[in-house]
Amino acid sequence: MNIGTMAEQAEDQKQDVSNDAGQRPEMDKPGGGAPVDETADANANREEEISTGGKNLEIGNFRVFTDLRLPEFDMGHCKAYAADNLRRSEGNAFALVTDPVLPTRYDLIKFLSGVHMAGQIDLLDSAIAHWPIFGRKTMVLFFEKPKGGHVIVSSGKQRSINEQDIAASVVEPLMNVLQALGEKGLTHRAVRATNLFFGDPEGGKVILGDCASGPPGYDQPLVYETTARMAADPAGRGVGTLSDDLYALGMTLAELAIGRRPLANMTDQEIMDIKLSKGSFQAIASQEKLPLIMIEPVRGLLCDDPEERWGFAELHAWLDGRRTKPVQGNTEKRAARSQNISGKDYYTVRALAQGVAKNWVNALTPLRDGTVEIWLRRGLGDNDRAKAMADAMRQLQWAGADKRSAEEVLVARSILILDPSGPVRYKGFSAMVDGFGNMLSYDVQHGSGPQRFSDVIVRDIPAFWFGRQEGYSPEVQRLQSAYKNLRYYIQQKSAGYGYERCLYSMVRNQHCLSPMIEQEYVVDIAQLLPALEKAAENVSDDAWPVDRHIAAFIATRLEDDVEGQLMAMQNPSDEVEYSRAIISMLAVVQWRHGPDNLQNLSHWVARLMEPAVKVFHSKARRERVETEIPKLAKRGNLVELYNLINDEQERRKDQSEFVEAVAEYSEAESEVFDLESSGPARLEMAEKVGQQAAAFASTMIALLTVSALFLMHIF
Amino acid sequence: MAARGRKPKGRSAFSGLSVIASAVLLFMVALPTFITLTVGLLPSLVAFIFDRSPGRMMARCVFGLNFSGVAPYILELWQDGAQTVGGATQQIFQPLALSIMYGAAGLGWLLYLAMPPIVANVLNLSAQRRVAELRKNQRGLIKTWGDSLIKEVDRSG
Repeated sequence: MNIGTMAEQAEDQKQDVSNDAGQRPEMDKPGGGAPVDETADANANREEEISTGGKNLEIGNFRVFTDLRLPEFDMGHCKAYAADNLRRSEGNAFALVTDPVLPTRYDLIKFLSGVHMAGQIDLLDSAIAHWPIFGRKTMVLFFEKPKGGHVIVSSGKQRSINEQDIAASVVEPLMNVLQALGEKGLTHRAVRATNLFFGDPEGGKVILGDCASGPPGYDQPLVYETTARMAADPAGRGVGTLSDDLYALGMTLAELAIGRRPLANMTDQEIMDIKLSKGSFQAIASQEKLPLIMIEPVRGLLCDDPEERWGFAELHAWLDGRRTKPVQGNTEKRAARSQNISGKDYYTVRALAQGVAKNWVNALTPLRDGTVEIWLRRGLGDNDRAKAMADAMRQLQWAGADKRSAEEVLVARSILILDPSGPVRYKGFSAMVDGFGNMLSYDVQHGSGPQRFSDVIVRDIPAFWFGRQEGYSPEVQRLQSAYKNLRYYIQQKSAGYGYERCLYSMVRNQHCLSPMIEQEYVVDIAQLLPALEKAAENVSDDAWPVDRHIAAFIATRLEDDVEGQLMAMQNPSDEVEYSRAIISMLAVVQWRHGPDNLQNLSHWVARLMEPAVKVFHSKARRERVETEIPKLAKRGNLVELYNLINDEQERRKDQSEFVEAVAEYSEAESEVFDLESSGPARLEMAEKVGQQAAAFASTMIALLTVSALFLMHIF
Repeated sequence: MAARGRKPKGRSAFSGLSVIASAVLLFMVALPTFITLTVGLLPSLVAFIFDRSPGRMMARCVFGLNFSGVAPYILELWQDGAQTVGGATQQIFQPLALSIMYGAAGLGWLLYLAMPPIVANVLNLSAQRRVAELRKNQRGLIKTWGDSLIKEVDRSG
């Protein structure tokens, strides 16, 4: 595709804009990609300004036209732009620009890149590039354009799919995608009608749109989330399981069958309430008119009990026209009498859990005075939950001085007792345990900060969640072992640990949030030093090239163990060890991942090497090192710089010689002191020795005289 | 300690007795020699009586040179075949002889007085030279190792 075809394409888009394209939320700045409210979106009728000014930039194998929007290919919170594939002449590509303040999904990008999978839009490539509209770097995903457009166009209307064709056109390709992902232990979490495209212009089989540009489930409308996950914040809905994708498939079928989104006229809270009170299927069936042919699969897929929910076997059976086992509409047990929280009556445990979470302060009284426990025992007849609630209350009595914190823990635990499969909720924080990473990332990058997450981990709420899970699940086991590390990281206060370490260890595609390099969108460790090299151009003299974020990023992403360096960084007042640790970390990164020449960073490091030079005691050695540093900095090699101050043999020699010198100096000092303070003693000795010498001399003189006289007499 | 304390006393008593016995023997066998020695070594005798210091260094000094002054006259007396008391008396009371004998004793006493200050000066000079040498070494160490050496010395106390 050349510029000329782009212009033609732009003309076509103008028509699309006036008709049904360009109705999606704008993301003209980072963070603009809030979860899509597609109902409101459908009613909006905004004009897309599409220019053909020809502004373009090359990203990897693609040329992206930054002023050539493709609103019909916008997906979720991300905008699409026209792009040319520079390597291949055939095929039509487009670029999807992700929101830099939302983490992308590493495992899916890795799995889907360059792979053609029937039923899934082709992800050609991904790259990190400077996006002029944001004024910073972000991740850009390149997709092959689906031959047909969106199944649900932006006005909210659906291009016709015959009810009879839904099985072949929708269910089969989507099942194929979910099955392929499931085999790799992955989930799509963006299965929804508005994320479907026609695979061909005739409107045959559909393909699923992007699933990797944001946190799992982030763009899903609330109605598409299971009753277990819908209470979580969009960013914290979690990776989930195949069962969650199948539920979304059920809702997709319902939307396609009805022709509009189910329960679209209800608020999120109303959707939650109706789904909790009636069950998902009943909630849809009571409000919308489902075609007869779709009732069975929708009922099976929207079953709120994941154990009962339809899987591939039931779907295959349905596709083959066989009857499948009937599923219960609503498995949630309803109490004979209600439990009131803040003036609202609740009849099911899940609804009550949500009520407690929403009325955090007012819920404490009925929990503490045992009202809820009695309701569980008598109203619901659930003795197990009542006992667990009584145990939680008993632990409150053992609480020490921090009563308030203990009460908050009681509320959080009560929610988990009432809804053990739901999200962890704590004072406004609401995330599934497998969505903690993305939730933390969202909080940190959207101004809420890490405090809520830290509180949850410090109060050990997830441990209670793990304790409430029934049966053995390898996924829960994996999460539990990961959680132990999180707790350790949070408890450590020094650089390289804390919430930063949790963030990078939980979210593989989280870019480094250090203020020095955040704009550079550093996701891989290999990008770190080039980003620091760039930052070194405008850095203040006293800034260190490794801050808490970079230390945690290196500790998580680097293959080598840097715990030793992190230990040395625990005490910033020990400048020698602190600077050595930092230089060592950066040198290891350069040794592993290059690049070979980092002149700016080397000069930056060289400026900070002054304390590190102090590892040598000998002035001659220091002077030699100080002369060498500028020379090596010019060569841009951190490893050589580090080796200069970390020559183990030289250091050992210096140390042993220094110890000897200290001993020699001390001995000399002690001898001088003795000599200077021994004057009277020396006089005493001099008198004694003098007298003895005089006596000896006198005796000798006498002997010599007598001998001489005798000799004279004889001779 | 008590045994140690008694031992020198016994030796001193023995030595005193042996001197007296020798003197008595000399008085009986060679009276002229006895007279010359008694008169000539009078300063030593006085020194031995008054010097109560351990080792009696002063007395030894005086005796050594005093005896050197007396010895020529004893030899001269022995060379005279008669060896009479008169000859001995005449010889000893010559002013020159007395001056030589007692002058030599005086020189011994002077030696005793002069020697300790000389030794003290020698020791002081030696100590000063050693201090200068040590200070020079320390300056060299500081030049090689810098202030960290002083800090380390201060730290290690």
